[in-house]
Amino acid sequence: MTKTLLVTGASRGIGLETVRRFLQETSPDKGTVSRIVLVARDSQDYSDALAELEANNPREIELFTYRADVGDRDGLLELIDCIVEEVGNVDFLVNNAGYTNPVALQQVDFADFERTMSVNLYAPFTLVQELLRRGNHFDLIVNIASTAGITGRSGWLTYSASKAALINMSEVMREELAIYGTRVVCISPGRTATALRRVLAPTEDPTTIMQPGDVAAVIEMLASPVGKFVDSANLVVRR
Amino acid sequence: MYSLLLLNGGVGTRAGAGQPKQLVKVNGLPILVYSLVAADAVDDITQIVLNYPDGWRQQIEAIVSDYAIRTPVTYVRAGASRHESVRAMLDVATEQDVVIHETARPLVSSDDFRSLVASEHRNVSLMLEIPFTVAPVDPDERRVTGYLERSTLRNVQLPQKFSIADLRDAHAFAEREDRLFTEDATLVAVAGHDVRFVAGSDRNIKVTTPTDIKLATYLLTGGDENWND
Repeated sequence: MTKTLLVTGASRGIGLETVRRFLQETSPDKGTVSRIVLVARDSQDYSDALAELEANNPREIELFTYRADVGDRDGLLELIDCIVEEVGNVDFLVNNAGYTNPVALQQVDFADFERTMSVNLYAPFTLVQELLRRGNHFDLIVNIASTAGITGRSGWLTYSASKAALINMSEVMREELAIYGTRVVCISPGRTATALRRVLAPTEDPTTIMQPGDVAAVIEMLASPVGKFVDSANLVVRR
Repeated sequence: MYSLLLLNGGVGTRAGAGQPKQLVKVNGLPILVYSLVAADAVDDITQIVLNYPDGWRQQIEAIVSDYAIRTPVTYVRAGASRHESVRAMLDVATEQDVVIHETARPLVSSDDFRSLVASEHRNVSLMLEIPFTVAPVDPDERRVTGYLERSTLRNVQLPQKFSIADLRDAHAFAEREDRLFTEDATLVAVAGHDVRFVAGSDRNIKVTTPTDIKLATYLLTGGDENWND
């Protein structure tokens, strides 16, 4: 049976690498994904990524591409309607889209804190809740949190708080969705060479830290048959 | 194909903290969600007849909607007795065979429903062997009156399934004879129809008391399997 994968934040970083891995040659221990739904904000990066993916699609996987800001709730609800109508059931959901603007407590602009929570917490919640309410049955939900959500980091209040909430929400989802046989896994990557990491640590040499493809390999493993043996509410991935 | 009569209308509040027992939460979810989701995944169940305690229809409908139950649901107000409830539910059942279950048994699985439906017989109940001794007594005199051979006794569980004609006939029989039965397998049998049983599971407990809720939560969260992991 063919499966559909939905990845948010698919224009770059861990999201894009996840899509790349699922496009490549299948092997018996890989999943059976034959349709991939990509969601990201409109950007030149996204357009370039889509062109590259379409040119390197040896298994002719069907790609559904959407330009949307998951932090905009009204837009997200419209997007979910479109996905349900045009794609149907989502079997694997990777809530990867993330946002951060790291500043000290006294400097936090409340609207920016709300924006952080909207992208990092409310969007994964809304995708799961609204798809469930439309009768969607998930095999696997992967929420991408962060080690910064396990331990608070000075200067990253909004980001750390949002990821801590995501880790906790994943535990609740895991319990509640067990009635459907849905697996819910939260991944907390450590330092990963992504655009978001450059915002958090602008002076760091990205070649010295974990690469997005390494995290994508873990996501691919979770979606494969062996993934069901990984029984962890919050899987820390770090170099 | 089967209509599921999902009994959900009892007004007992033994386990409930000031709310009807249907809305009691087990591991944080309203108890009726478990049976609804398990039945919804069974292709042979094409209708769910769900009853509700008077005044609680809106809350029950909201749960069915929030959980996107795909099988069509027909709502019936609960009767004053179990007999009355089942009779009212039979009136709106659209299939020729029915499965009866109660929301107070949240550990039912889709496979429990499937194996029941797969039985070659039309009137079938899940039943369990009784691992302890029961005695017939005169409760007023507090006197033991005899002996019961437990190998010929069974603990009656739900779900059960019946031909709708036999179940209707049995309820007419009970009304005619003015007899009360606490469940339908013995009723249908006493009314003269062939009723069989298949092995139930001791996990499929009926949640009645606060302790039952704790036990059900323990079982649902895998506590029985993971404690020594």
